[in-house]
Amino acid sequence: MSDLLLEAKGVGKRFGGVHAVEDVSLRVYAGSINAIIGPNGAGKTTFFNTLSGFYFPDAGSVSFTGADVTRAPSYDRVRMGMGRTFQTSSVFPELTVYENLAVGIESADNLSFRFRTLSRAQRATLDQKVDRLLGFVGLGAVAHRPLAELAHGSQRLCEIAMSLSTEPKLVLLDEPMAGLAQAETSRVVSVIRNLHAELGLTVLFVEHNMRVVLSLAQQITVLDRGRVLATGTPTEISANAEVREAYIGKEVIEHV
Amino acid sequence: MKPIGIWGWVATAILFVLLLLAPQLAPRLHLALTICTDVLLFAIAAMAVNLLLGYTGVLPFGNAAFFGLGAYGAGLSIQNFHVGFITSLVIGTLAGVVGAVLIGPFLLRRRGIYFALLMIAFGQVFYFIAYRFTNITGGEDGMNFTRPPLEGLGIHLQDAGFYYAILLIFTLVVVGFWLLVRSPFGRTLVAIKQNEVRARYLGLNTDRFIFVALMISAAIEGLAGACYGLSIMFAYPLLLDWHQSGDIVLMTILGGAGTIFGPLVGAIIYVIGEDILSTALPWWQIPLGALFVACVLGFPKGLLGTALDLLPGRKNRIEPGHDLDFAAPIIADRETTR
Ligand SMILES: Nc1ncnc2c1ncn2[C@@H]1O[C@H](COP(=O)(O)OP(=O)(O)OP(=O)(O)O)[C@@H](O)[C@H]1O
Ligand SMILES: [Mg+2]
Repeated sequence: MSDLLLEAKGVGKRFGGVHAVEDVSLRVYAGSINAIIGPNGAGKTTFFNTLSGFYFPDAGSVSFTGADVTRAPSYDRVRMGMGRTFQTSSVFPELTVYENLAVGIESADNLSFRFRTLSRAQRATLDQKVDRLLGFVGLGAVAHRPLAELAHGSQRLCEIAMSLSTEPKLVLLDEPMAGLAQAETSRVVSVIRNLHAELGLTVLFVEHNMRVVLSLAQQITVLDRGRVLATGTPTEISANAEVREAYIGKEVIEHV
Repeated sequence: MKPIGIWGWVATAILFVLLLLAPQLAPRLHLALTICTDVLLFAIAAMAVNLLLGYTGVLPFGNAAFFGLGAYGAGLSIQNFHVGFITSLVIGTLAGVVGAVLIGPFLLRRRGIYFALLMIAFGQVFYFIAYRFTNITGGEDGMNFTRPPLEGLGIHLQDAGFYYAILLIFTLVVVGFWLLVRSPFGRTLVAIKQNEVRARYLGLNTDRFIFVALMISAAIEGLAGACYGLSIMFAYPLLLDWHQSGDIVLMTILGGAGTIFGPLVGAIIYVIGEDILSTALPWWQIPLGALFVACVLGFPKGLLGTALDLLPGRKNRIEPGHDLDFAAPIIADRETTR
């Protein structure tokens, strides 16, 4: 097996009396595609939030690239190489696609504290990096339109590109296909494939669509009521009786 | 940032020609030249507010603390150390920055209305200090001082000379502001304003950016306050008061937060409006208040912001209402951060 990139051990998070996540452990190896599935309210987003520093867990630990990040602020994790998207798109709505990406690129290049306009050479580098990201998600044609004017699917693609703008090793995608039409879904699927195949990134994503999960992921973790129900390869997961009963039974009928 | 285009440059050029001719034009409009000077001074102060309100998305409702510190900084340095014109302005500017360094750390973790209220509270602390320490500040009566001569030349700037000095400072601030908001730092501030959580997930420690923005804003406002002190040759506690803060915030919103010249438009309407109305009507605050309410309800982007949106090619930008989120929550990932 290759290097361990991200490891969660016994993570728990409570909201008042609700155990949103309880004793969840997960290992993500460098260069793999991993999925988290589970019914609504299973705690997938909350778990993502503890991994990325949106919340700190009440129990357990999170380590990333070998360092303990359980209580590290989100921006430090990003600087260590973690990118993420949100279940409901989180972008800069009044900035153009170009500017949305430039903010992240400038952050990664330590230019955000520059008080003068970019030099010609810096500007050329920025343009080049923006073009690469735009080409990757196929948004070149709308580069100078504000995000608020774009369709939902394009906003999601832009958010994926933003998560790449900081040059991460690992990207966390929370339901990247939620609310997308069929054609848009297949575009996002191929983008995720390319993240892995072309850019060599490690991917962890949450998704409801079982067909997508089974075809994309190498490793699947099933959450149910805040706990891990099963972990394994697509073949193991689709053969697991408990999972079939608790989750896949309903969903497969819905989606496949 | 939005490109301003050829007409933007033409309008800017016309504006500066008018400002240059103000000493000749003002008497024909029955305006005192000091009113024109006040317009520029408050436009500078409103630009300081604009950096935070219009570009960073925090509500500087105690900003007059920096304005007053600038006036007192200039006044005290003139009275006690007999410094020259430029030095007194530099000291006033630094006084504003010192104020921001003192209160900044307490404001940083707050957002929205909590930031605003805490900043008002800290501003009032400076007000009470100026009010109480009578032997230094003159207390409630304020302190008189003279306008010192310009270093090196020994010239006493008066009337049109003083107006042009302030116009020069205003121009430098506008150019600096314009460069700043087009820089990566300016772009980052706008990003923080629009979606702080996303900014943090792009690896940005947003508190640090807000702190630096606060310091720059305080420097500009301290400079404006120092200029005001030199203009009236007087500093008094009410300059630090939250009413003064409110006036400057009103000018910013009236003219258009988030635009370069919005603060100037707001200052023109507010200062000249107050001058004309206050002599004609005893209840002059009411029409000005009504205009402000109309602005917030009808044109949340201010007069200039709304006018710019009506220009061809800009129509389909940005929904209104995004700009003034008075009740924005403390962002989520700090809930457990400290
Ligand atoms: N900020 C919060 N405050 C209180 N309760 C919360 C909060 N966030 C999540 N919860 C609760 O925690 C549980 C898990 O929610 P979570 O959003 O993690 O589920 P999910 O698996 O992502 O669901 P979905 O598929 O609907 O996105 C739910 O019962 C939810 O109501
Ligand atoms: Mg979720």
